[in-house]
Amino acid sequence: MAPPAASQRYPSPSQPSGKSEVSDLKTQLRQLAGSRAPGVDDSKRDLYKKVISYMTIGIDVSSVFGEMVMCSATSDIVLKKMCYLYVGNYAKGNPDLSLLTINFLQRDCKDEDPMIRGLALRSLCSLRVPNLVEYLVGPLGSGLKDNNSYVRTIAVTGVLKLYHISPSTCIDADFPPTLKSLMLHDSDAQVVANCLSALQEIWSLEASHSEEACREKESLLSKPVIYYFLNRIKDFNEWAQCLILELAVKYVPSDSNDIFDIMNLLEDRLQHANGAVVLATVKVFLQLTLSMTDVHQQVYERIKSPLLTLVSSGSPEQSYAILSHLHLLVVRAPFIFAADYKHFYCQYNEPSYVKKLKLEMLTAVANESNTYEIVTELCEYAANVDIAIARESIRAVGKIALQQYDVNAIVDRLLQFLEMEKDYVTAETLVLVKDLLRKYPQWSHDCISVVGSISSKNIQEPKGKAALIWMLGEYAQDMSDAPYILENLIENWEEEHSAEVRLHLLTAAMKCFFKRAPETQKALGIALAAGVADFHQDVHDRALFYYRVLQYDVHVAERVVSPPKQAVSVFADTQSSEIKDRIFDEFNSLSVIYQKPSYMFTDKEHRGPFEFSDELGNISITPEASSDIVPAQQYEANDKDLLLGIDEKDDNKGLSSNNGSAYSAPSLENSSNITSQMQELAISGPATSATTPQSSFGFDDLLGLGLSTAPAPTPTPPLLKLNPRAALDPGAFQQKWRQLPLSLTQECSVNPQGIAALTVPQSLIRHMQSHSIHCIASGGQSPNFKFFFFAQKESEPSNYLAECIINTSSAKAQIKVKADEQSTSQAFTTVFETALSKFGMP
Amino acid sequence: MPVAASAIYFLNLRGDVLINRTYRDDVGGNMVDAFRTHIMQTKELGNCPVRQIGGCSFVYMRISNVYIVIVVSSNANVACGFKFVVEAVALFKSYFGGAFDEDAIRNNFVLIYELLDEIMDFGYPQNLSPEILKLYITQEGVRSPFSSKPKDKPVPNATLQVTGAVGWRREGLAYKKNEVFLDIVESVNLLMSSKGNVLRCDVTGKVLMKCFLSGMPDLKLGLNDKIGLEKESEMKSRPAKSGKTIELDDVTFHQCVNLTRFNSEKTVSFVPPDGEFELMKYRITEGVNLPFRVLPTIKELGRTRMEVNVKVKSVFGAKMFALGVVVKIPVPKQTAKTNFQVTTGRAKYNPSIDCLVWK
Repeated sequence: MAPPAASQRYPSPSQPSGKSEVSDLKTQLRQLAGSRAPGVDDSKRDLYKKVISYMTIGIDVSSVFGEMVMCSATSDIVLKKMCYLYVGNYAKGNPDLSLLTINFLQRDCKDEDPMIRGLALRSLCSLRVPNLVEYLVGPLGSGLKDNNSYVRTIAVTGVLKLYHISPSTCIDADFPPTLKSLMLHDSDAQVVANCLSALQEIWSLEASHSEEACREKESLLSKPVIYYFLNRIKDFNEWAQCLILELAVKYVPSDSNDIFDIMNLLEDRLQHANGAVVLATVKVFLQLTLSMTDVHQQVYERIKSPLLTLVSSGSPEQSYAILSHLHLLVVRAPFIFAADYKHFYCQYNEPSYVKKLKLEMLTAVANESNTYEIVTELCEYAANVDIAIARESIRAVGKIALQQYDVNAIVDRLLQFLEMEKDYVTAETLVLVKDLLRKYPQWSHDCISVVGSISSKNIQEPKGKAALIWMLGEYAQDMSDAPYILENLIENWEEEHSAEVRLHLLTAAMKCFFKRAPETQKALGIALAAGVADFHQDVHDRALFYYRVLQYDVHVAERVVSPPKQAVSVFADTQSSEIKDRIFDEFNSLSVIYQKPSYMFTDKEHRGPFEFSDELGNISITPEASSDIVPAQQYEANDKDLLLGIDEKDDNKGLSSNNGSAYSAPSLENSSNITSQMQELAISGPATSATTPQSSFGFDDLLGLGLSTAPAPTPTPPLLKLNPRAALDPGAFQQKWRQLPLSLTQECSVNPQGIAALTVPQSLIRHMQSHSIHCIASGGQSPNFKFFFFAQKESEPSNYLAECIINTSSAKAQIKVKADEQSTSQAFTTVFETALSKFGMP
Repeated sequence: MPVAASAIYFLNLRGDVLINRTYRDDVGGNMVDAFRTHIMQTKELGNCPVRQIGGCSFVYMRISNVYIVIVVSSNANVACGFKFVVEAVALFKSYFGGAFDEDAIRNNFVLIYELLDEIMDFGYPQNLSPEILKLYITQEGVRSPFSSKPKDKPVPNATLQVTGAVGWRREGLAYKKNEVFLDIVESVNLLMSSKGNVLRCDVTGKVLMKCFLSGMPDLKLGLNDKIGLEKESEMKSRPAKSGKTIELDDVTFHQCVNLTRFNSEKTVSFVPPDGEFELMKYRITEGVNLPFRVLPTIKELGRTRMEVNVKVKSVFGAKMFALGVVVKIPVPKQTAKTNFQVTTGRAKYNPSIDCLVWK
C-alpha cells in the first residue's frame, strides 16, 4: 500500500501541494454522487483517475473517503475497480471509515458478474483491518464454493490473508480442510496452486503449536499427493510449477524406483523456457540423488547444458541468478565443468558482478589440462579498465597457482604483472607472491630477484606494502639491500598510516636483524623506539614485546620471531564444509546468491531482532551497523595479522604460547574497544591491575603469566533468585553484551532427552522461561543451535547475559556468561546449568 | 517456506517512488528508503542485483529509466523473482504499446495497479500471460489516460478462460485469413584472442512465431537437426558431421510446447498463443561457421592517442549477401576527438555509448 501521507515522500517542486485540488475533488465528487444523469459515469471516471494519481504521487486524499464510497454505487466496472483500489489503500489508516465500505463490498461479492465478485472479494480481504474479520468469513466461504474458478482462486488467497490477520478466525471457520479438499479435487490448476501455497504457509505456521497441523503438513509430502501434483504438472502455469517442484524437493522417496519415476516425470521440465522452473527441477534432481553417487554424477552431466543455455540468454540479472547456482555446482564438482571452461570467459559488456562470478568459476574449474588457457585468459583481464575486475583476475591467477597446477608458468606470469607498473596490479601481485612463497619456498630465488627491484615508493596500498615488507624480512639474506630499504621505510615511520604496515615493519626489522645484525641494528632501534611510542595499541604492544624479548635473550628472541618455517600446505578454507552443505540444501534461493545459509540472514526477521554474523559474538542490528564498522574493520585487521603472527611462531610452542594467548584474547571479546582498554590495564602494570576482579582477570589472561586463569574467587554464593518477569529490550541487551567483559565460559553436556526435545529452538526457550531465564534471540538448525538469554536478579536490577551454543550431535552446550555483577556470575551459571540439565525431563 | 514477495516498487533514476504495491505487511514502508540510501545513493548500484539491508532482500532490475525492486523478507527464490520482473515488463509493454519508461508509468497508474493486483496475489505470482489478461483487464485510453469513451463491459465468461487449461490462448478466435510467420534470429557470440585465435564461439538462436489462426490449432514443426542431447555416445562415435544436420547443444521451449512429445517423437508440437511469441531457444557450440572475420589492430600512439584498424571480411558464399552490417568499436570514456578513414560505408563516434559506429 502506498504510504498515505505526503510528508513521507521527498517533496518535489513539480508536484502540486494538493490541498486545494483535494477540496476541489471533494466538491465535484459530492455533486456527482446523487446524480443519475447520462454520462455521469464518464466524469466520475475522470475524477477517480485524478484521485488515484494524487494518491500515487503521494498526496493524501484520504479526506475524500466518504465521497468515494458514496459514489461507488455504480454498475460501471472501471469505476468499481478504481474505487476498490482507493479503499484498499486508505482502509488501514481509517478503520472506522472502512466500515462504510464493508456494506458495498459484501453486496458486490454477490454480484452476478464473476469479475466483480472476484474483485470485491479480493478488496475485502485486502483491507487488513483486524476488527473487520468477522465480515470476511461469510463471503470467503461462499467464494470457495463459487462455480467460477476466478472467484475461487481469489477466495483461496483470501483465506491466507485472513489467516495472517487473525489465525484463530481462519482456523475456527474450518477453512484449511476446505482448502485441502479443493486442492485435491478442483479442476482448475490455478485454484489448486493457490491452495497449495496457502496450505503450506498456514500449516507450517501452525505446526509449532498444533500437532494436527504438523500431521497435515506432513501429509502434503505423502506419496499420493506428490504424484498427484507431478502427474498434472503440465497443466499448471510456470509459477505454480515452481511451487510444486519446491514441494517435491521435500519429498522423501521410498526407494530407487520412486526416484527414477519422479526424474522421468520431470526430465522434460529441464527444457522449459522459464529459468526458475529449470532451477527448481535441477534442485529436485540433485536432492533426490544425493544418496546415489553415480546417478548424482549423471545428473550433473544432464543439467549442465540447460544451465549453460540459461546463462547465455536473458538479462544480466537473470544470468547472474543462474550463474550463482552454477557457481555452487562448479565448486562442488569442478571436474564435470572442466571441459566447459570457455563458457566462463567474460565478455566485455557484462556487468562486473557477472564477471566476478565467472572469474571465480574459472579458478574453480582449473585443472592440469586447461590451466594454460585459463591463465592466459585471466592475464588478459589484468589489463581491464575495470580495476576491481583486474584485481580479481590477478587474485584468480594466484589462487590457481596455489592449487598446484603448472606453478612454473604461473610464477612467470605473475612476475610479468609486476612489470606493468600499475599501482594496484603491483600491490595485488605482491600479496600473491607472498602467499606463493609461503607455499612454495623453492621459488624464492626467481621471485626475490624481481621483487627486489621494485621500489617501495611505488606501492601505496597497505596490503601490497605489507607483503613486500614481509618478503624483505623473510628473505633478507638473499636481497643485498634489504636492510637499507627497510631503513628507508622505518625513517618514514610517521608517514605510514596503516597499522598493518607498521606491524610488518617491526617484524621484518627483527628478522633482518637476526640475519644481518650489523647493518640493521640502527634501523631496528629506531623502529622499536617509534613502535613503543606508537599510538596504535597493537603496534605499541608488539614493539614492547620485541624489546623485552630482546632484552631477555637475543637467541630466544630469534627462536620466537624467526624460527625455521615449514611451507604452508593448505590455506585455510574460508567456509566450512558444513556451511557449504547447508547452502546446497537451500539451492534455488537467496542463500546461494549471498553464499551463506539462510539462518544467517533471515533469523533477524523471524526469530528475534538479532542477526548472527560470522564473527564470534559480534552481534549487531544491521541498520545501526554503520556505527560499528570502524572498530570491526580494525578488529579484522588485527585478526588477519594475528594469523600471520601465530603462523610464524608455529614451531615454538613453549614461548609462543605467551604471545599466542596475548593475541588470542581479543578474539574472545566483542569489540576492539574492550581489547584495547584491557590491554592498557595489562600493560600499564600491576599497580592498577589488582584493584578490581575484572581488571585482574584481564591482566592474567592477556599476559598469560602462568598464573591461574581461574575466575576471580567468588564467595560461595547464596542461591540466586531470579526475577520471573525480567524485561530487557534488544538494544540494551546488545549494548550490554558489547560492554561487559566475559565472566565465564563453560561447557556442559545436555541430557539425551533434552536433545531429543530440541527440534526447534522454541522448545528450549519455553523451558528456560519457566526457570526465569528469558531468551532474546535464537537461531540455527540441527545440529547447531544458538541462543542468547538474559535474566535479572529478583531483588535488584542486576542483569545476567548468556550465550548458549548447543550442538545436538555431540550433546554439548557451550555457555558464555556476562554479568553486571561479576561476583555472582558463578551462581548464575550454576542456575543456568541446572535449568538446562532439566530440559527434556518429564 | 514461503517464497512470496512482500512488495514491489517502481522507482525512477532519482529514487522517487513512481508506483508501488505492498502485498504483505511483513516489511515496513521505510524499506524503500533503505534501498534508496544504501543502494541508489552509493556506488553499490551496479555491483550486484540482489542486496540485503536490514533483514530484507532487494531484488532489482533496471529497465530503461525505471528501477523495479522486489522486496522479500524470507529466503526467496531469486531466479523466479527476476523472471517475474522480466515477464511483468513484457506484459506492461504489450499494454502500453511497446514503451516502458517513467512516462508510461505516470500515464497509466490505474492500469498498473490493476495489473499488479492481477499478476500477483499476496506475493504469489498468478497469471502473467498478456493474451488472457487483456481479455478482462481493459482500460480505455491506455495511451491517453484522460480521454474516456463508453465501452463495453468485458465478456462475462472471460474470467472462465483466465484460469483455463490452455492458459496462453483464448477460445473462439476466428480469422478470415489464417497466417503463420516464422522467423529465426541467431546471435553469434565470438571471443577472439588478440592474436586472432577463436577462443570461444557459440550461437544462441530463437525461433519467433507470429500466428493468426482460428480455433485451437495443433501445430507441428519438424526440425532437420540432430538434437544431440541424450545420444552423446552416438554423436562422439560419428567422426565428421554430415553436411545437413546441425547439432543443437540445448533447447528450451515456450510453455505451449508439449515437451513429452518432443522427447519421444522429435517434433515440436504445440497450440500456439495468438500473436507474436518466442517458440524456442537453442544453443550451438559445435561447427559454427563464422559469417565474418574481424581483424583488429590497435596501436597506441603516445599517451593520449590511439589508432584502431579494423578489417572485416565476409566468409560466406558469394551468392549470399549481408544487410544492415554495423560495427561497433568500444573506445575509452574520455575520448575527445575521432578521425576516420573508411573504404566504404560511414563511421561516426557515438559518445553516449562510448563507441565508434560504422554502418
